Amino acid sequence: MWNPFRSTINVASHELADSIRSRRAIVLLILYLAGSIVGTLIFIKVLHEVETQVVKAMGLDPAKNPGGVTATLWESSHFREIVVHLSGDREIAEQLLRVPPLALFYAWLSFAFAPLLVVLTAAPRIAEEVWSGSVRFALFRTSRGAWCMGKYIGQACQIFLALLLSAAGAWLVGFIRMEHFAPADSMITMFLFAVKAWIYSLAFLGLATGISQFFSSPNIATAISFVALMIMGILGAISSHLANPNTICGKIWDLVNLLIPSGHKIDLWRTDPDHVIPAVVFLFALSIAYMLIGHSYFSRRDL
Amino acid sequence: MNALELHDVVKYYGRHQALAGLDLQVPVGSIFGLVGSNGAGKTTAMAVSAGLLQATSGKINLLGQGPFTPATHTGRISLLPQDSRMPLHSHVDELLMFYGRLQGLAEGALQESVDNVLDWVHLQDRRNSAVRTLSHGMMRRLTIAQAFLGHPELVLLDEPMSGLDPREASRVRHILLRRRGMQTIVISSHNLHELETLCDRAAFIEHGKLVRQDTIDSITRRGHSVTYKLLPGNIPIPALQKALPDTTIEGSTDGTILTIKFQGDPDEITRINAKVLEILLHSGIGVIEIRRGSDLESEYLAATS
Repeated sequence: MWNPFRSTINVASHELADSIRSRRAIVLLILYLAGSIVGTLIFIKVLHEVETQVVKAMGLDPAKNPGGVTATLWESSHFREIVVHLSGDREIAEQLLRVPPLALFYAWLSFAFAPLLVVLTAAPRIAEEVWSGSVRFALFRTSRGAWCMGKYIGQACQIFLALLLSAAGAWLVGFIRMEHFAPADSMITMFLFAVKAWIYSLAFLGLATGISQFFSSPNIATAISFVALMIMGILGAISSHLANPNTICGKIWDLVNLLIPSGHKIDLWRTDPDHVIPAVVFLFALSIAYMLIGHSYFSRRDL
Repeated sequence: MNALELHDVVKYYGRHQALAGLDLQVPVGSIFGLVGSNGAGKTTAMAVSAGLLQATSGKINLLGQGPFTPATHTGRISLLPQDSRMPLHSHVDELLMFYGRLQGLAEGALQESVDNVLDWVHLQDRRNSAVRTLSHGMMRRLTIAQAFLGHPELVLLDEPMSGLDPREASRVRHILLRRRGMQTIVISSHNLHELETLCDRAAFIEHGKLVRQDTIDSITRRGHSVTYKLLPGNIPIPALQKALPDTTIEGSTDGTILTIKFQGDPDEITRINAKVLEILLHSGIGVIEIRRGSDLESEYLAATS
């Protein structure tokens, strides 16, 4: 007896296994790990430079390892006031200042680059199976919906593993290279940011999977997904400036902000569940909605 | 009961009409041949039946339960698609296990079924190989194997023998013949001699429409006609007509082909053959070949010319 749930899980586990066999997953994991390690090393080097300059300006002895001055700076009330002014929101600033600097950097890195890597790896997946015809061996054995959802879940699992690995890489570099590094605190915070970055990435996974269902060429699907990613970036930048609940035009941009992933990113930076949970729900809903738009075509298309 | 029925099925690709009101009835348990020129609509008919292509209009009835839906037909029908590549990085064994699980086979039955189909197509020794390492012929055999996984009731095979060497093609023919009566098998092929050997029914399709559909015996008149290929000479038609008054006798103008058509019991052929051979040999005419009925190729060419 055919069971759509079991069928979806079968496709997802095969997708994951196939990615590992084809070395796609390995490349993805290496990209995430190398990105986070190199990024963290650069961050620590820049931090060390800044600290050296600060120490020089103040006529103090330079620190051997980076992080010591930052830790002191992080605690100073003057610096905290500056961050409040910069963020424009005392609540967000206070929450961010409770986060270790390296975890904050890791969060920025993963929020900025995970969507790019997701699009790169997920956008061709369905299109390439249509192109090679291998989809024809599967779709008289299951529904198109279960097959696409299985592909989506398989990719989501890969991304989760990649983000966890990248967090571990960044943590390890910080642990080795930074003075005043709080290992346990940083580990927990970085793990939470990895999960949040994963949820944020899911929206882009939905977008890439949705677009992939429209095409029979993996290259075109990838190119269109990158264009969509750029358009969303532009819309995000515009809407964050123009959103205003007091004007009609501002309300429209407010709505645009709700319908794109970047509109919910700021809420993921927070630590209070009142903001985080709605953002998670919204991002997950957006992910499924993007995928369903593609599926409305895929479910009727000739294969 | 029919395993597959198409009623007035129309399929357009853009402005091109691939199926122009195709009708087909494939009885349960038959081995059914689909014959037609390139672009006649055979592949489209199979893909529409398996739910991979959406018919523009018309009715499709699979196993008496309407058009393809996963809930009703998963595991009961299978397809060997033409020009489709299996996932190259997957391993033979794992891929078949995956397909078996998708179609709902239980773990015990799954392993047994995978072993069986790999044995049929001589790929047991390559079960742990990646698909990309298989030769073209081996890949083709793997695609045949997947079509028989889990003993589906209806198997659609689009050009199953293309790319197979003569030995493997012969093995596959024997496998198909052994399935007769156990599964309904629809085979599309350009090799009409092969279809004539394998199938008990056939349909001629041209320009997306059915031209003729019948049993192979009826199409080739196997039970009611016998053809003699002769060395050139004067065929003694009057003597034959006198000896076999209840038959129709036709001789070619160059005296090399003699055809006897008759009605009634197909076993009459033994009596007719004895008489004809006696008269021909008595007249000094050399007989090169004797054949029951005509062949599928001649009938196809005649029906579609």
